[in-house]
Amino acid sequence: MPIDTRAPLLAAPEHEDLRRALRRFLTSAASVTRARAHAEGEEFDRAVWLRLADELGVTGLGIPEEFGGVGFGLTEQAVVLEELGRELYGGPYLASVVLGAAALLAAGDRAAQEKLLPGIAAGETVATLAAAGVDGEWRVGGPTGVVAREREGGWVLDGSCTHVPDATVADVLLVLADTEQGRGLFVLPAGSPGLSVADLSALDQTRRFSRVELRGAAAECAGTPGDGDRVLAAVLDRAAVALGAEQLGGAARCLELAVEYAKVRHQFGEPIGRFQAIKHLCADMYLAVESSRSAVMFASRALDEETAEAGAAASLTKAWCSDAFLQCAGDAMQIHGGIGYTWECDVQLYFKRAQSSKHLFGGPAHHRDTLAARLGL
Amino acid sequence: MTDTMQYGDDAAEEFRGSVREWITENAPPELTGVFDWRTREIPGYRVEQIVEAKRHPAHVEWERRCVEGGFVCPLWPVAAGGRGWNRVQKAIFEEELHAAGVPRIDRGMGEFLVGPTIVARGTAEQQARLLPPIISGQHRYCQGFSEPEYGSDLAGLQTRGAVDGDELVVTGQKIWTSGAVDANMIFLLCRTDPAAAKHRGLTFAVAEFGPHNGFDVRPIRQMSGAYDFAEEFISGARTPLSNVIGGLGEGWSVAMTTLGLERDFNLPTLSLDFLHEFGRMADRVRESGRNSDPVVRQTLARAWSHVAIMRMFAKRLLADEEGTADMVSSTKLFWSEYHRWVSTEDLDLDGAAGMLRPAGDGYPTTPIQDSFLAARAATIYAGTSQIQRNIIAERVLGLPR
Ligand SMILES: Cc1cc2nc3c(=O)[nH]c(=O)nc-3n(C[C@H](O)[C@H](O)[C@H](O)COP(=O)(O)OP(=O)(O)OC[C@H]3O[C@@H](n4cnc5c(N)ncnc54)[C@H](O)[C@@H]3O)c2cc1C
Repeated sequence: MPIDTRAPLLAAPEHEDLRRALRRFLTSAASVTRARAHAEGEEFDRAVWLRLADELGVTGLGIPEEFGGVGFGLTEQAVVLEELGRELYGGPYLASVVLGAAALLAAGDRAAQEKLLPGIAAGETVATLAAAGVDGEWRVGGPTGVVAREREGGWVLDGSCTHVPDATVADVLLVLADTEQGRGLFVLPAGSPGLSVADLSALDQTRRFSRVELRGAAAECAGTPGDGDRVLAAVLDRAAVALGAEQLGGAARCLELAVEYAKVRHQFGEPIGRFQAIKHLCADMYLAVESSRSAVMFASRALDEETAEAGAAASLTKAWCSDAFLQCAGDAMQIHGGIGYTWECDVQLYFKRAQSSKHLFGGPAHHRDTLAARLGL
Repeated sequence: MTDTMQYGDDAAEEFRGSVREWITENAPPELTGVFDWRTREIPGYRVEQIVEAKRHPAHVEWERRCVEGGFVCPLWPVAAGGRGWNRVQKAIFEEELHAAGVPRIDRGMGEFLVGPTIVARGTAEQQARLLPPIISGQHRYCQGFSEPEYGSDLAGLQTRGAVDGDELVVTGQKIWTSGAVDANMIFLLCRTDPAAAKHRGLTFAVAEFGPHNGFDVRPIRQMSGAYDFAEEFISGARTPLSNVIGGLGEGWSVAMTTLGLERDFNLPTLSLDFLHEFGRMADRVRESGRNSDPVVRQTLARAWSHVAIMRMFAKRLLADEEGTADMVSSTKLFWSEYHRWVSTEDLDLDGAAGMLRPAGDGYPTTPIQDSFLAARAATIYAGTSQIQRNIIAERVLGLPR
């Protein structure tokens, strides 16, 4: 397969403006300190979320203009996700704006789109997607734990779904469920009778996951029943790249933390950053970060332009950035020594996020195998 | 127009069309069959076969046309016989050559190292005098930097340069000189002021190369079996002071220009060659039915990932040359380490069959064995992987020296 990187790589000053504005906002209003508080039980801060939506306009970036968004693509969203990843932001960006919007767009149900996308774009509606299999793996064709039955002109859902991101704060749930025609995408509002949501205890406490139980909950079908696998496949490619961008941000921040510490921590009368063993770890982290950046740039553009290698690029990015983030978080911990192993040190938050994100939307080995298939192997 | 050209924009695509046309009209049809030119950028790759392939009449004819058409050293200023192309144009030209399966006519270290150094640091007179013979092929350069006792620590080098009237007289020893057997010119570093501090007393000069000028060249056999580098005992080699680039005692700063260029391998084309090499590996896997082996699938996915990332690195370098200057050590480290890894994986696919070589005199190897061996060079030359990591840590990340 050729690798088409021909489309111009815009220096895109607007991207850098967005990045700067977002970084300023996040470091003051939603830094990793807030992520830690969130991890330790603080409620989702809807005010910060709405400021992200209003003042920075990040929730509408990837949604078409006709549905109240800005009409940009993953290329722009990747900048946002990278910045959010740097601070381990715990809000539902991935859940609502990436998964929710992508599922609705892929399902192609005009009525559902008109009803929900403008709210998602404005940040007023928080959506999430329940589509992991019973084992928690997000995988096309894997068994869902939810069955949808037609009843009295509508649909009713029964079953349960695990690994649902940010379901406790979602206003609307999109659920992948089995029907007689195959899988389909279903929509139901939070608080629906027969729907219950319970937080799961997660290794990475900065991102909330829930278990969703459905007992005869009424729902609407978005698009065509039987089309769910196609929808999920499209969503997962976007989600892989989006999460890759978030992982890139986390990896880059770990490198910064490591380098800052290596300059100030002295042992044997010298800054530890003068020891070559430390230097070389940092250099390899830098390479991991910059190669991840190249992967994200390549894949986000490939998906936006729908090039032939878009799917391969998505798989590559998720696998690559997963490995890179864990490498950087782990090495940052090593470079911090004993303090790095404490609950107090932020590096541990990145380390747990890295391991968890690695297995969200498919682990590296799965993605490399998919990539091999996409290369015709 | 060319200054604002962006890789992939309309101007660039128009340019692509025009060079494609030229290539189609001028490349001898039988040239593509002479050699698999699409792996030719991968350093150290089957040098002997490449030398052989270049003697083919189709290549000779192609070279003549490229020189006549002005397609050799196209990055150089027009006044120096080049085309004044920017890097985007050069990358596009090479992509089109790659697509057509014909080689770029290059002038080796003359084109990539000493020429651009002279463009950056030489006088107008030096440019007019020294550059055209590189384009014509009359001057073939080798690089005399490393010495037996000074490799990574290059600035410590001891080869002496003494000024005698209007000449520089060079005495000492150089080693690991690639292409020395074929070269008739050398660019070298020598110590002209032993009293000055280590980095201060060095001078960068070009000189006629060969026994007639005091260079006693002794080829050294490489572990791949080839004799692609040599050592030279230098006794009183002479060169006019007008061949000193950048002035006496300025050698270290001039050499830094050269070393920067040396690390800046031609990533746009190199990455295409790696992609082509990947394609051959994937074909081999498919033909042997190993494509259902999960371990092999993981390996191939990793390999393609590296190449795709390399392509994107190349594009980032093209889009923002200044902003990415820091990345050159990283990209060199990235591809050289990749190649070392992938060529090992490739040979591993042969299993026990890979223990045997083709019969014959010397040390013939299969292309995969050759790649496996040759890939070990690039993590050593042009700054070892450890030196690149030092550079990244100190210059890019700002860790203390
Ligand atoms: C195929 C090939 C072609 C070459 N062609 C040329 C040529 O044309 N012209 C030319 O001038 N030279 C050439 N060289 C020489 C090359 O530049 C040197 O080999 C290289 O700079 C390393 O120097 P050295 O061999 O003396 O190894 P050393 O510098 O002795 O290094 C030995 C080991 O020590 C490590 N090391 C050294 N210093 C440090 C440090 N500060 N921190 C951490 N680790 C360190 C190195 O990474 C390496 O692993 C070529 C080399 C090869 C292999």
